[in-house]
Amino acid sequence: MADKCRVRITVNGVAYDQEVEPRLLLADFLREDLDLTGTHVGCEHGVCGACTVLLNGDSVRSCLCLTVQADGAEITTVEGLGTVDNLNSLQQKFREHHALQCGFCTPGMLMTATDLLSKNENMSDEELREGLSGNLCRCTGYEHIVNAVRAAMNE
Amino acid sequence: MSKSSDGGIDLTRPKIIGAPVQRLEDPRLLTGHGKFTDDVKLRGTLHVALRRSDHAHARIGTIDTAEAEEMPGVVGVFTAELLDALTRPVFATSKMKDYHATPVRALAGGKVRFAGEPVVAVVAQSRYLAEDALAGIEIDYTPLEPVVDPEEAAADNAVKLHDHLPGNVLVARRFGVGDVEQAMGDAPIKVGGRFRFHRKTPTALEARSYLADYDQGTRALTLYASTQVPGIVRDALVEVLDMPGSKLRVIAGDVGGGFGGKASLNPEEILVCALSRHLGRPVKWTADRVEDLISTSQSFDEIVDAELAVDQDGTFLALKADILGDVGAFSIYPWTAALEPMQVAGFLPGPYRVPNFSANVRAVATNKAPMGPYRGVGRPISAFVLERLVDMAAKKLAMDPKEIRLRNFVKEEEFPHRTGSGIVWDRSGFTECLERAADAINYPALRKRQAEARADGRWLGIGIASYAELTGIGSRLSAAPGMPINTGTESATISVDSSGAVTAHFGIASHGQGLETTLAQIVAEEMGVRLEDVEIVQGDTSAVAHSTGTYASRSAVIAGGAGTLTARTLRGKIIEAASHLLDVDMADIDFADSLISARGTNKTMSLRELARAVYSQMGSLPGDIRAKVDLQASEFYDPHFGTTTSATHLAAVEIDPETYEVSIEKFVVVEDCGRVINPMIVDGQVHGGVAQGIGAALFEEVVHDVTGQNISATLVDYVIPSAAEVPSMEVHHLDVEAPSTLGGYRGMGEGGTIGAPAAIANALNDALSHLGVEIMELPMTPERLFQVISAAQDGEAESS
Amino acid sequence: MKPPPFAYVTAESIEHAVAELARSDGEGKLVAGGQSLMPMLNFRLLEPSVLIDIGKIPDLTGISETGDGLSIGALTRHVDLETSHLIAQRFPVLTEAVKHVAHIAIRNRGTFGGSLCHADPAAELPMMAVLLDARICVSGQGGNRQIPADKFFLGALTTDLEEEEIVTRIDLPYLPESTGWGFEEISRRSGDFALAAAAATVSLVDGKISEVRLAVTGVDDLPLRIRAAEDALRGSELDDAVFSSASQIVRDAVNPNSDVHASADYRRHLIGVLVGRVLRSARSRARGGA
Repeated sequence: MADKCRVRITVNGVAYDQEVEPRLLLADFLREDLDLTGTHVGCEHGVCGACTVLLNGDSVRSCLCLTVQADGAEITTVEGLGTVDNLNSLQQKFREHHALQCGFCTPGMLMTATDLLSKNENMSDEELREGLSGNLCRCTGYEHIVNAVRAAMNE
Repeated sequence: MSKSSDGGIDLTRPKIIGAPVQRLEDPRLLTGHGKFTDDVKLRGTLHVALRRSDHAHARIGTIDTAEAEEMPGVVGVFTAELLDALTRPVFATSKMKDYHATPVRALAGGKVRFAGEPVVAVVAQSRYLAEDALAGIEIDYTPLEPVVDPEEAAADNAVKLHDHLPGNVLVARRFGVGDVEQAMGDAPIKVGGRFRFHRKTPTALEARSYLADYDQGTRALTLYASTQVPGIVRDALVEVLDMPGSKLRVIAGDVGGGFGGKASLNPEEILVCALSRHLGRPVKWTADRVEDLISTSQSFDEIVDAELAVDQDGTFLALKADILGDVGAFSIYPWTAALEPMQVAGFLPGPYRVPNFSANVRAVATNKAPMGPYRGVGRPISAFVLERLVDMAAKKLAMDPKEIRLRNFVKEEEFPHRTGSGIVWDRSGFTECLERAADAINYPALRKRQAEARADGRWLGIGIASYAELTGIGSRLSAAPGMPINTGTESATISVDSSGAVTAHFGIASHGQGLETTLAQIVAEEMGVRLEDVEIVQGDTSAVAHSTGTYASRSAVIAGGAGTLTARTLRGKIIEAASHLLDVDMADIDFADSLISARGTNKTMSLRELARAVYSQMGSLPGDIRAKVDLQASEFYDPHFGTTTSATHLAAVEIDPETYEVSIEKFVVVEDCGRVINPMIVDGQVHGGVAQGIGAALFEEVVHDVTGQNISATLVDYVIPSAAEVPSMEVHHLDVEAPSTLGGYRGMGEGGTIGAPAAIANALNDALSHLGVEIMELPMTPERLFQVISAAQDGEAESS
Repeated sequence: MKPPPFAYVTAESIEHAVAELARSDGEGKLVAGGQSLMPMLNFRLLEPSVLIDIGKIPDLTGISETGDGLSIGALTRHVDLETSHLIAQRFPVLTEAVKHVAHIAIRNRGTFGGSLCHADPAAELPMMAVLLDARICVSGQGGNRQIPADKFFLGALTTDLEEEEIVTRIDLPYLPESTGWGFEEISRRSGDFALAAAAATVSLVDGKISEVRLAVTGVDDLPLRIRAAEDALRGSELDDAVFSSASQIVRDAVNPNSDVHASADYRRHLIGVLVGRVLRSARSRARGGA
């Protein structure tokens, strides 16, 4: 087995200094090693977007990123947004607009939307749908998700 | 005080039922604190990786696991030899004549019957290590001829999948009404042909996941499972593992979508339970996406030869169909191989008067993953076939598709109406749904715009699909005939505990539908408490004595009914206790928003104070009253037959005349789902259903090559639509109470997927009408459109 | 679906990476953004002995002007191509093409060099390299060399790179003034690989055509420039009849595969349609249209 590598990663503002196997996917590091199970694994081949997290502020697929590659990076997961008692405005819009059903794609959807909103102040519905198209949802038909992100954008 | 017709509800209070209340599930799911099965961590958990068959059909010879057993972190490598000793096979039995059951086992033994069937289980310290060891397993297969084509599989001389059965046909049924042959023979106009609906897989975003935890001290086993049917799984495991139900608990925590793919008993559920008991450690298996796409039950795989006869004025005279369902390798537990093909036949007459009807149904085994329920079960196929036939007839008569439907719908005064297949429709807004959908889309203006677009060389099409379905099916019908389980009833238990908190226990299992919220709405309103004061317990077999789960658009109707009855009983007890405690007549007790008050006085009491008095302050109530007003109630609900949900879907699509790309311009749904509990949730269900229907119509197909290999086993190749492909939709509800269910609810979780494929097929057909083609197959991928259009244009070129 | 075990090295410099590659005896793999490599590892289609991470090598990112063109570091991420003003100004066709590369999260990680080295026969950026006459700068044990894009791609997932060579930069020579462009792609879903895609540039001098380039992807084992079609277009009046014959030349020149998404016939049909469309767009833009 390959030697372990040391990684220093900040996740949701908390600094971690750990030894990991080189092959450990960032998604599994977050879920298994840090117990941050809000990041969901949906396909492990980069199509569904459920595992999306922010890496230095940019949305990335945590199933297509090795933990060792994130050495030195700042990661934000869904647990780093608002809390159950204090949802952030995007989460609040998701709730108000019923933009989630089973909730499995939701963390990835929120992280992608966070990235989109941070880089675009004004998106047409077409741009918004295009921007969200890397995150598959099987429950909502996307209508309410688009409404929620649009509402957050217009706030 | 005003009362509604079904009693109990105080109309002077703000309504909770019918309000778009925000979901109670949301805060945890929005913050990453949901608990899906794969999120459950138990100390000492072992992880399973499965070596699955890479043959569609083969005899299993020797299996050499020696190398794998020596690999790092490996605890054990197991084959059917051990698993068959640890478990008993279970069969989806049925009282149906001419039906043949097949066994469900943890691992394949003797033979593999589809590529992807689990053969060897590696148990290791981590999933990574378990997967490493798969390469150390050698399996000696003797390939057998793969049975891939369903028609060939049904032939008398076909290679058999199951040696103990007479052939591959697992179900053969024929039924109908009237004299179809006579009516067909006399009819002036007949339309028909061969329709093909290609195989789908439900593809919940959360792949299946199971974690079994055997407690050696108590000899009890808990299975955490991403399942829609914890009750069915628990009851099956009682037989499989030979353990009492009291020692077996199945918990479906947060479940990441199901759509039918988690509504059956799966081999891996048996496997982790047997291995956990065997090893005395928690054992987890979580499907990766490839495993999910090749081994989760698949659906919507039928060939239907159908013919519709109509009169000169468009009146339907007769309908006949021959239905061949490709049900894959096994008859799925508990639904049986009859489930989908029988539903195709049963719902084929649709919302129309069809005096003569006959259907011939066969379910045939092939070397593919087993067919199970998928949102809509059969009805997307019946709606596709029938609604295409209706449009074909309209075209022949030069009649507007809307008009021919209006002429043939079962009319208001004809309910209840018994269809040719024996289904009884109760009153439902068949005509009204179509009329309102046409108004919503401004049908005449759309037709005008279409004519203009056509003049400009644009291929714009309009498609209508109307359907009806049975939902909230009670014990007199049950979701599938002759099964050993009862799907028609639900019970609920509601208690006020000694702290005054309200907990309601149900047997259903929400997996995205928001049932924690909708059932809380019902309980809160019926009891008189605030929504936030109700805790719903569901998805756990320890909640109630008998349960099945959530499927077949049943939970709001049946669990809602049980919740309504139970809440009313408990409310009565609370009022009775309060009348003693506050010393006023029961008629003078008000109980609303969790506050008990004596009308005309300033005496009030919280539920907590009442609970304390009842449970803890001995002497506060006379003994006989205390015994009567225990703050707990349990009631049972059976809607007997169920109720009719109906809808019309209207789609406007445009096909690029050069590339054949399809864009959906407009999509309107008008639905009669009875009384709406939470409009936001109901709309969401329709949107999601329609999106899956769009997937079924244009994108999704499980493809097998001639050797039976699944060649669409990634999300790159099994194409589910994204936000960019699904259009914005418009949804309206009739919101009229159903006549036959408690509370007036109708089930509506599946409908979106039933109507959308047919509406899109008709719209595509309409867009291509100038080419004289007929859309007989779904999904109509760009490739299929290319083939259909090229053939038509070649034909045109030849004839000109 | 977890990656197989491998060792991991963070390369400090190009030389370090080259040395590690050489030391791995052909068993090592470079990783940068990893957006093509990681799925292959997760599927265990590749089992490298060592992953050499070049993602932190300084000076391999960025877009700079060189006088006669733009020089783009191999580690430049798709999102940086997409949002670069220099590229938007000089190679708007590339800006448009990058928007079609997968989705935002992939574009945030994936690199220009990585996409070229992966050489997926339906990817957008290899086609852009071919269209724009990119010179692909590589370093290896034998020193540095430049490979013209049309010699770089040899087949599906196959390039002219030696085992220990690394792509360091991609140089794009400027297009003449008054160059119009067109880009069109058909895919099953937004962000999916192309069933077929085409791109063209048309350059005018004094209203006459001085240069035409036409490239296609998704319709053969590698991205192709269709020189025969370019020859037919060059010197023509760029009317629709010429475009039709160019489409036909392209249809005859390509050799598409059939898969679960599309047959070879449909891809061939599509590419003809797209060639017509990109030529019309390029003509219109060259003449000063939007």
